[in-house]
Amino acid sequence: MGEIGKFNFTLPLPPTPTHTPTHPHSHTPTHSHSLPSFMLRYIGKRLFDLLPVLLGITLLVFLFLQLIPGNPAVVLLGPRATPDQITALQEQLGLNRPLPLQYLSFLGRLIRFDLGKSILSGVPIAQELAIRWPATFELSVAAMLVAMLLGVPAGILAAVRKNGWIDNIAMSASLLGVSMPVYWLGLLLVYLFAVNLHWLPPSGRLGVGIQLQPITGFYILDALLQLNFPALLDVLAHLILPAITVGTIPLAIIARITRSAMLEVLSQDYIRTARAKGLVERWVIMKHALKNALLPVITIIGLQFGTLLSGAILTETIFSWPGIGSWIYEGILARDYPVVQGGVVFVAIVFVLINLLIDISYAFLDPRIQYK
Amino acid sequence: MIRQLKRWQMGLFALAAVLSITLANCAQQTATPTTGSSASPASSDSAAATALVFGTGGDPVNLEPGNFEDSNSGYVQDQIYDRLIRFKPGTAELEPGLATEWTASADSKTWTFKLREGVKFHDGTDFNAEAVVANINRWWDEKDALGFRDAGKTYAIWTGLFGGFKGSPDSLLQEVKAVDTTTVDIVLKDPFAAFPAAIASNYFGIASPDAIQKAGANYGTPSSTAIGTGPYILKEWRSGDRVVLDKNPNYWKGEPKMQQVIFRTIKEPSARLAELRSGSIDLTVDIAPDQLKELQADPNLKEVRRPSFNVGYLALNPSFEPFQKKEVRQAVAMAINRKAIVDSFWSGLAKTDAHFIPPSMQAYQDGSLKEYEYSPDKAKKMLADAGYPNGFDLELWYMPVSRPYYPTPKPIAEAFAADLGAIGIRVKLNTKDWAAYLDDRLKAPGYQAFMLGWTGDYGDPDNFLYYHFSPSGTKDIGDWKSDRVTKLLEDARQDSRETERAKMYAEVDKIIYEEAVRVPIVHSEPLLAQRANISGWQPSPLATEPFDAIEKK
Repeated sequence: MGEIGKFNFTLPLPPTPTHTPTHPHSHTPTHSHSLPSFMLRYIGKRLFDLLPVLLGITLLVFLFLQLIPGNPAVVLLGPRATPDQITALQEQLGLNRPLPLQYLSFLGRLIRFDLGKSILSGVPIAQELAIRWPATFELSVAAMLVAMLLGVPAGILAAVRKNGWIDNIAMSASLLGVSMPVYWLGLLLVYLFAVNLHWLPPSGRLGVGIQLQPITGFYILDALLQLNFPALLDVLAHLILPAITVGTIPLAIIARITRSAMLEVLSQDYIRTARAKGLVERWVIMKHALKNALLPVITIIGLQFGTLLSGAILTETIFSWPGIGSWIYEGILARDYPVVQGGVVFVAIVFVLINLLIDISYAFLDPRIQYK
Repeated sequence: MIRQLKRWQMGLFALAAVLSITLANCAQQTATPTTGSSASPASSDSAAATALVFGTGGDPVNLEPGNFEDSNSGYVQDQIYDRLIRFKPGTAELEPGLATEWTASADSKTWTFKLREGVKFHDGTDFNAEAVVANINRWWDEKDALGFRDAGKTYAIWTGLFGGFKGSPDSLLQEVKAVDTTTVDIVLKDPFAAFPAAIASNYFGIASPDAIQKAGANYGTPSSTAIGTGPYILKEWRSGDRVVLDKNPNYWKGEPKMQQVIFRTIKEPSARLAELRSGSIDLTVDIAPDQLKELQADPNLKEVRRPSFNVGYLALNPSFEPFQKKEVRQAVAMAINRKAIVDSFWSGLAKTDAHFIPPSMQAYQDGSLKEYEYSPDKAKKMLADAGYPNGFDLELWYMPVSRPYYPTPKPIAEAFAADLGAIGIRVKLNTKDWAAYLDDRLKAPGYQAFMLGWTGDYGDPDNFLYYHFSPSGTKDIGDWKSDRVTKLLEDARQDSRETERAKMYAEVDKIIYEEAVRVPIVHSEPLLAQRANISGWQPSPLATEPFDAIEKK
């Protein structure tokens, strides 16, 4: 898995990034308009590279599950179980077969896109993912919007006004944001905005009085498709508090990274040149500096987004959000092997794909990057 | 591109700002407790007024009778299904359900159930003897076509309460047959006086065989159906979110009071209390005892206590050398200041006494027993007399999870350790993951001492005592057994004369008290809560209650 999050690119000569003082991106490269064939080849190669990664993930998940003591039979039977009953149930669940055989049958089903069924509830994993995944995705996107729309401007402002009061406030706040326990923040928001002020609902995805036929499982999309505006408002209202809660840490990280990346770029020669030739300061910052500072920011945004997409267990628990994190977590507690295996493999695929997307996005930001 | 990005960003900012203001206003309108004259959107208000919203700690595992053990599945199934026999509201006593009467043959082996006539399942099919036989065979017979065992269904609770499946030597059941359309005979291998109570437990709702046939192995999962005869009909189950039930207007006991019952999954107890306080749910369960004050402080809420039907105990394993001596185990029982511990960790929502079975089964207790006196001095002397003047080292295991009988296991274990330390027993506290905790205690020689408990399935002492004190039960306290207790437990199973059974169980009560292998610490009253405008909720000690009589004003 060492490859995840890395990108393969080579810089053409000269290797040191020096920018033309006039207009760094005046010669717009062709591949920023459509995907050229080498890019498609690259994407194909990266997708192919996924296979060994996924194989590794399935093996790791499988082995780790076997390493945890206890097994589904014990959990199913609970405190009342006698040893005989546990043995009998293990046999029925096929847990007594040799491990390589269990692993191979898991792989065999995976190849046929069959993720199996939950041992505990009997619900097909794919069906559960179709419900959990949109919930997690919606929350992650909302949280990332909160994080980016506040984090990037805060970072820029802090960098531009380095050591000024904005910088101090933004950086202290982001330190607080990184170190604040999510659990505590979530409950605080619930008590303030739901219990005391009655502005927002305390938890859940949809109010009980609201009719919304799930079509895609993405409630915002479903509400829009059905032009159901009361439902849309209700869904958004339910999204605000959890999005703030989940978004706080990425927000703080993004603000800090943006600030340091901007500071680095702002100290470079071409910025001085741009200022010297009399460009408006705002133009210098937003166009010349920001675009070049965005690379590390995009990387971190992608990584944070990928992490959010694997679910936010604590936030999901506080806000009764039927997401993927708490589902896998409960699967682990119940030793519900198919849930954990299916869930983790799915999340891993998503994570790897997000990283691929980030790598591709570099090309749009930095035309010097070529893909092989 | 940058300019575009900026415009795009600003657009989103503006949109977000407008939305949040609109939402804030909108949400304020709907969420403020309505006092009658509000002009807020009618649809959501009317839905809220006719729907009873119940906050549970988790999704049902499934909606399939006989194939679950968790209370979350039970709460929902109690609305969808009826059982042959049910419990009188608020008690563990039996009353007719789908069976109007039941009688035992002279040898107590054949139980005959007379069924209620004219009852229909939600899918319109008839409830009759065939349906009962089909349901029981599905649970009991591993080869039954409606059982779908090959799809991974286990029906583990059946072996838990009735020994084993068809063909197994441990199976209590011999045969089940429809005598005519309204009569079912259930034949047992051995007499079992508690059989009606056991079959009344809320695992065994009667489902429509026709619906099971149609839905196949998916029956009772979120995308499928769940068809019973109960007061409410399954409308929708959104996994991880809610289960919506509609009123069954043809319910045989009369029309239920609410149009809808909605179960919402809210895992976190403090989040459930927050929801209740904000008015978005009407009732909830499993509130932590330390939140009692917050609950009492809110005039819109009412605390509700579930009658105690559990026991939290401290097991002392005689496989561990010092605990081979009864006197040492008794010394431990005397060293623990149970009253102080119960007072401080349960906020007054529990009591401690001398008995393993809960107070509501007083008829089966030995009333003369007094709980072990708290006396570190006497305990210390007993230890010395038993050959441990300097005490000994002890590994005490505490549960990693909260249960109604031990809401906060770790601090309680620390209190035990402090009390035992005072008589020279040097306690090392241990815990591990819940599944491993349960599993490893069964591996010989087992834990030296551990905390665990039990919540009753049905109102008979057999359910508490047989599992814990018969050699056929659990094996987590080494080879401990008492021949007298074993005989009494077996005899009481076979005797249907209540006065005789009461005498036998009282004797068991006395022996296990003296043996002190499982020292009863607490019988707790699980804390529930409701909005003040809800009436008619009678919490059952067994946590099984149909909501047909609950009203919202």
